[in-house]
Amino acid sequence: MAGGVPTWEEVAREHGRFLYNVAYRLAGNDSDAQDLVQEALLRVRKGLERYQPGSLEGWLARIVTNVFLDEVRRRKRRPADAFPEDPDWVLPPAPAADEVSTGFSDEVQAALASLPDEFRAAVVLCDVADLPYEEIAQSLGVPVGTVRSRIHRGRRLLRDALVAPGETA
Amino acid sequence: MNGRPTPDDRLSAYLDGELDAAERDAVDGYLATSPDWRTEHDEIAYARHALRALPTHEAPQGFWEGVLSPELTRARARRRSRLPRVAAAMSGVAVAAVVIASLVMPSSDRVTPRVPALSDSHAVRTSVSDEPVSRLATLSMVTPFRR
Repeated sequence: MAGGVPTWEEVAREHGRFLYNVAYRLAGNDSDAQDLVQEALLRVRKGLERYQPGSLEGWLARIVTNVFLDEVRRRKRRPADAFPEDPDWVLPPAPAADEVSTGFSDEVQAALASLPDEFRAAVVLCDVADLPYEEIAQSLGVPVGTVRSRIHRGRRLLRDALVAPGETA
Repeated sequence: MNGRPTPDDRLSAYLDGELDAAERDAVDGYLATSPDWRTEHDEIAYARHALRALPTHEAPQGFWEGVLSPELTRARARRRSRLPRVAAAMSGVAVAAVVIASLVMPSSDRVTPRVPALSDSHAVRTSVSDEPVSRLATLSMVTPFRR
């Protein structure tokens, strides 16, 4: 790494795992996550000269989220290309909070994928990428108050999705 | 109506440490006195925890090699494409050097025999010895030759 600014390959090698995870949580499947990551890395490559040393993973999370939202808008113009939803997904039973484990992660991921795109982006930037509200607001181009509302409503919807019909929390 | 607002997005901000002191105190007060706020708090905390507990999802095997290999291939291709250019440039320099050398030193490797003097002295010797073969030999010395 020369002068604090990493090369494109260093970003891919050292932060690719983080980038892929955020992309997957946004897209909900590996195929779309791979496309998001590749497009994000192209933007990283073009933008590295302007990168100011700081939170590299925050910067990467913002880029991949913008790629995702750009793709969402593009697919809305062409509905046949919409991100796939899983029609076979069924609401799982709600475990106690301390029972959340990797075995439960598929259900959480499916619930996350069911959120409206703008809510999902806010929730992923907050709870997966761990960005503060101010950075999320900059990433999404909305006021901090809107970020707070989207995160809260996203979590509320996700909680509802994780509770099977007839069950209570 | 007890004067308390219904639970709202301050709860998520409360959990994320994004409230200022006044808002945090207000939420603390609601949580201390309202079952609705406590229920909402627990449910939002549950969702937040479920998301944050998600394991890192790994890319399929071979994905990163595929992402990086085109770059490496292009780098290799750039190195390969430079070799013929370097070889061609060196060949050009060599040819130019030969041409320049031939122009600058056009007679450096040319031998100019003193044909008239040799011919004269040989003619004198053959006239003295009256040898026919040597008489003929003088004719071959007329044209210059390269070493």
